[in-house]
Amino acid sequence: MKAPLFRERHLWRWLPVWLAQHRSAAKSSWRKLRARPLSTCMTWLLVALSLALPASLWLTLNNLNAVTAHFERPPQLSLLLTEQTELDGAVGLQKTIENWPKITLVTLLPKDEALAQFTALTGLSPLLESLPRNPLPHTLLVSLDKAATEKDRAQIAEQLQHLDGVAQVVLDTLWLTRLEEGLRAASRWVLAVGIMMLLATVLALGNTLRLTVVAREEEILVVRLIGGSMAFARRPFLYTGLWYGLGGGVLGALILWVFSGWLAGPVNALFILYESQQRLQWPGIHYPLILLTVAVFLGWIASWVACQRHLSQLEAH
Amino acid sequence: MIEFDRVSRRYGDQYALRNLNLAIDQGEMAFLTGHSGAGKSTALRLLLLLDRPTGGEIRVCGERITRLTGGAVARYRRRFGVVFQDHRLLFDRSVHDNVALPLEIAGFSPRDVTRRVRAALDKVGLLGSERADPASLSGGEQQRVGIARAVVARPEFLIADEPTGNLDPQLSSEIMSLFEAFNQVGVTVLIATHDMPLICRLRHRIITLSAGNLIAGDEP
Repeated sequence: MKAPLFRERHLWRWLPVWLAQHRSAAKSSWRKLRARPLSTCMTWLLVALSLALPASLWLTLNNLNAVTAHFERPPQLSLLLTEQTELDGAVGLQKTIENWPKITLVTLLPKDEALAQFTALTGLSPLLESLPRNPLPHTLLVSLDKAATEKDRAQIAEQLQHLDGVAQVVLDTLWLTRLEEGLRAASRWVLAVGIMMLLATVLALGNTLRLTVVAREEEILVVRLIGGSMAFARRPFLYTGLWYGLGGGVLGALILWVFSGWLAGPVNALFILYESQQRLQWPGIHYPLILLTVAVFLGWIASWVACQRHLSQLEAH
Repeated sequence: MIEFDRVSRRYGDQYALRNLNLAIDQGEMAFLTGHSGAGKSTALRLLLLLDRPTGGEIRVCGERITRLTGGAVARYRRRFGVVFQDHRLLFDRSVHDNVALPLEIAGFSPRDVTRRVRAALDKVGLLGSERADPASLSGGEQQRVGIARAVVARPEFLIADEPTGNLDPQLSSEIMSLFEAFNQVGVTVLIATHDMPLICRLRHRIITLSAGNLIAGDEP
C-alpha cells in the first residue's frame, strides 16, 4: 500500500492535504506559544511598541496636515507700484480695482507710512535716514472675496500685473508654503524612523525565532530524515512568526487607540480655543488594519529569514 | 532492489567506504555488520541521501538516487522507514503524535492517521500508551515507538542503525522478531548491527564490512 497523496499532481487531491498540514502547523505553534505565556507576551509587546511608535507619529502628522488643509489661503495680494507712480495715481488705481469682481477691499499704504512701519519693525532708522530718498514704493493691499479660488487668485494677480503703474504682485502665502515644507520634512523623518523601527523589529524577532529554531533542531532533523520537505520543516516556525506578528499587531493597534484617546481631550480643547471645527482624527479602522498587516508580514519575513539560514546550515551537515 | 555500484566515500585521505558493490533484493532481510568505523553507518547515510558518495552509483528500484535533489530527496526518503539506535523520538509530543509524524508528512487524513497509528502501536505492543509522554517509557518501549513510527506509513524499505544497541538480549531478540514480522509481509529490511550472537541465530544474509571494504556476504 502506497502513501499516495503527495505523489498526486492533481490540485483537488493535493490542496486539502496542504491545507490540513497548514492547520496542524498553525495549531501546534500556537500551543507552543501558549505554553510560554511570559516570553510570548514580551515578544508581542516588542512588536507592538515598535509599530505603535511610528504609527502614532504618522497619525499626529496626518492630523497636522488635516489642520493646515483647513487654513484659508489668506485672500490678500500686495501690489507694489512703480517708483514713478505718485500718490494721486495710486489713489486712482485703488478706485479702479475696488470695482473689480471678487475684490472686497483695497487699502492704500503710502510709501512714507510703509517706511515708518519698516523702520519701526527693523529698528534700522539711522541707516534708513541716511538714504537720499525713500526706496519703498506705494503699496496697495488687495483683499479678495473668500469664495475666490486658487485659480481666481492667479487670474486676478495676472490682470493686476498688466495694469499701468504696477511693478510687482506679491501673494502673501510664503508662510503657508514654509509650513507645508516643514510638514513634508517631518513626514520624511517619520518615514525614516518608521523604517528603522521596522528593521529593528525584524532583527529582534528574527533573533527570537532563531533561538526557537535552534531549540527545535532535533525536530527538524527527524522531520527531514523521515521524508518531510523543507517547506514542511519550516512551516511551524513560519506560523510562530506569524502569531508573534498577529499578537503584536493587535496589541499595537490597542496602544494606538489608547494613545489617541489620551491625546484627544487636550487637542480637541485646543481646536475649540482656536474656534476651529477641526477635531482629532481618530485611528479609525484603517490604521489598525495597516498596522496588523505590517506586523504579520514582519513576523513572517523574520521567521523566514531565521529558518532559511538555519535550515540550510543543518542541511549542509 | 537496492544496488551499490562501486560506491566510495572519502573524507580527506580516509576512505569510509571503498568500491562497495552490493545488491539487496526486494523483500530480503539482511544484516550489515563490522566493527565500529567499518562503514556501516556511512552506507546507510548514503542510502538515505544524508550524505553523497565521492564515487560510484546507488540505485534503488533502478533509479539512480545520487542524482536526486530538493523535493525529490524528501519524496525518496518517504519510501523508507528508519529506526535509530537512540530512537530520536520528539519529547515535546505524545507517543501518538510521534508515530503520526510520517503520516502527516505523507498527507493522510486525520481519520486514517488515528487508525494507522493505532494499528502500528498494536503491532509493537504499545496500544495502551498512545497518550503517554515518550519520556515516561522505558528504553525498550521507546525503541518500539521508534519502530512504530518507522513502519506506520508502510514503507517499502525498513532501515535500522544499531536498533538493539542499548537493549538487553531479551529485548533485543523481541525487537528482531518485530523486524522479521515486517519482512514477512514484504518489506525489505536492512539492519546495521554488531550484535553477532543475536544475528547468527537468525537465518538471514550477513554483510560484513571492514575498513570500508566488503569482506563477506556480497551474494544473497
